[in-house]
Amino acid sequence: MDEPHLKRDLGLIRTTMLGIGGSLSAANFVIIGEAAGMAGYAIVPIVVVCGFLSLLTMFSYAELGTAIPLAGGEYTFAKVAYGGFTSFLTGWFEWLSNMFYTALSAIGFAYVVSYLFPQINLPLTAVIVVIVFAIINLRGTKETATAETIITIIVLAILAIFVIGGWSFVQGPQAAPPSASPIGILGIFAATAYLFELYLGAEAVAAAQAEVKNPGRNIPLAIVLSAVVLIALYTSVVSVAVGIVPPDVLSHQSSPIAFVAEQALGPAGAILITVGLAIAGLAATNEAILAQSRVLYAMSRDGYLPKGLCKVHKRFCTPHVAIIVGAIFTVIFAATGFVNFVVYAVNLGFIIGFSIVNLSVIKLRKIAPHLKRPFKAPLYPLTPIAGIVASAFLILFIEPSVLILGLELGIVALLVYYIRMVGHHRIRIAFGGISLGLGGFFAFVAYLLGTNSIVLHGVSQEVPTLVFYVLLFVSIIQVLAGILNLIASDR
Amino acid sequence: MNAKRILSKIVGLIQTAIGGLTMFFAFFLFYNLFAIQAVLGFSAEGIGLYLWAFIIFGLLSIISGLFLFYEQ
Repeated sequence: MDEPHLKRDLGLIRTTMLGIGGSLSAANFVIIGEAAGMAGYAIVPIVVVCGFLSLLTMFSYAELGTAIPLAGGEYTFAKVAYGGFTSFLTGWFEWLSNMFYTALSAIGFAYVVSYLFPQINLPLTAVIVVIVFAIINLRGTKETATAETIITIIVLAILAIFVIGGWSFVQGPQAAPPSASPIGILGIFAATAYLFELYLGAEAVAAAQAEVKNPGRNIPLAIVLSAVVLIALYTSVVSVAVGIVPPDVLSHQSSPIAFVAEQALGPAGAILITVGLAIAGLAATNEAILAQSRVLYAMSRDGYLPKGLCKVHKRFCTPHVAIIVGAIFTVIFAATGFVNFVVYAVNLGFIIGFSIVNLSVIKLRKIAPHLKRPFKAPLYPLTPIAGIVASAFLILFIEPSVLILGLELGIVALLVYYIRMVGHHRIRIAFGGISLGLGGFFAFVAYLLGTNSIVLHGVSQEVPTLVFYVLLFVSIIQVLAGILNLIASDR
Repeated sequence: MNAKRILSKIVGLIQTAIGGLTMFFAFFLFYNLFAIQAVLGFSAEGIGLYLWAFIIFGLLSIISGLFLFYEQ
């Protein structure tokens, strides 16, 4: 596989900024409010625990990122370590989680902006943001670490003003009195699974390894440094937030941090925070669209998905089909405006990805012991095993509806994989049989409805007739499709 | 393009559309948009089963329809 040769011009500071910037999304500062409602004052230690859990897997990213000098992140690691269905499944969930992360970033932006402009329609704003950035990505973006560094420094500076100003307020007489946190251990675990999202994006350091000077030294250092800065940042932001506004009040705010800033620093503080978080939200949306389209492109290039997805636009030199397909799905989820569902969906995808990265470290240490590893995960095998155990444990506390969706998406992945890999003609015959069966079923239901064996209650007289004709139409189409698939030639 | 291929394309397109609409319907049902659960008289306990049925039917229809649409 020929990968473009990239210039190694990222030093330690800029690499660290990539890791910090990758995690700074507006949505993170929105979900803090909901998590405060779940965990009360225990949110402060939970933020620290999430940071350390994420750091365990970051060591694995550092090891694989420096040992496998190819673009593609988790998907590439799994392809080298396992190949076959495991790498396909990893790429599939990597794409899905980046797609959900795009939706989340856009929804987070909408929530943050709604603090200053409450009249805006949240789902519509999120959808517009996704569409605008999809168009920008279609026309081509230059991934400049310099721009990322500048945005990260601006956001960090604004958050530092918030923390310093808020801390002075906490020390003053107007601060909210601390109270007991009436939550059980299950609430703490649920909030941990929910807040895991805070540190996602820091793996961008490992993904950018091809551009990092002296990667064996700088990548692990940047990963640890960015994790330390992020843990310190989120812990101080959350401590100040719950120190000024009680968690139950915080949980009802559309933009909790802007609300806290207004209490501590006045309207100017709220405006400053909103501007900072809005910039972070837009940058995160842009990066997530870029990431998801590249995963889809790579999987198509490797033959796992239809070839059409790896088409490159003649004029803009971007994978336009992959960007458009990803944007369509993202728009659907962004249109829901449901933060909690999307947060858990992002977490589920990344937890699966993290587990596979940790498993890949263990597998490669066994099958390729002589692979050149400029950096090795410390305390091996404890760190990857602890990462896997932590991921498996957090899955238990993810919302059941998201787990069901994850299971369904896993089944879809299995279907897509076998359709691509197993004989195409045999799959068509199978689908022909299924369509015939479905056609027969719908004809039977239509018959029952037509003979009044099934009665629809509480509807007007026209509805059963309409339903009858719809069922009949669906039945005819399914039967026709079944026959056409069964008689298709074997080419 | 012969008649069979044209028919395959048309049927494939309609079958895909049916599958897509069914998925959208499942989505509406899950989030109870426009109070659709009450309108259709679906009990809260039975929603999971309906969702499974609609999603599986939708997926099968989309895949089968795409096979026909992209027939060589």
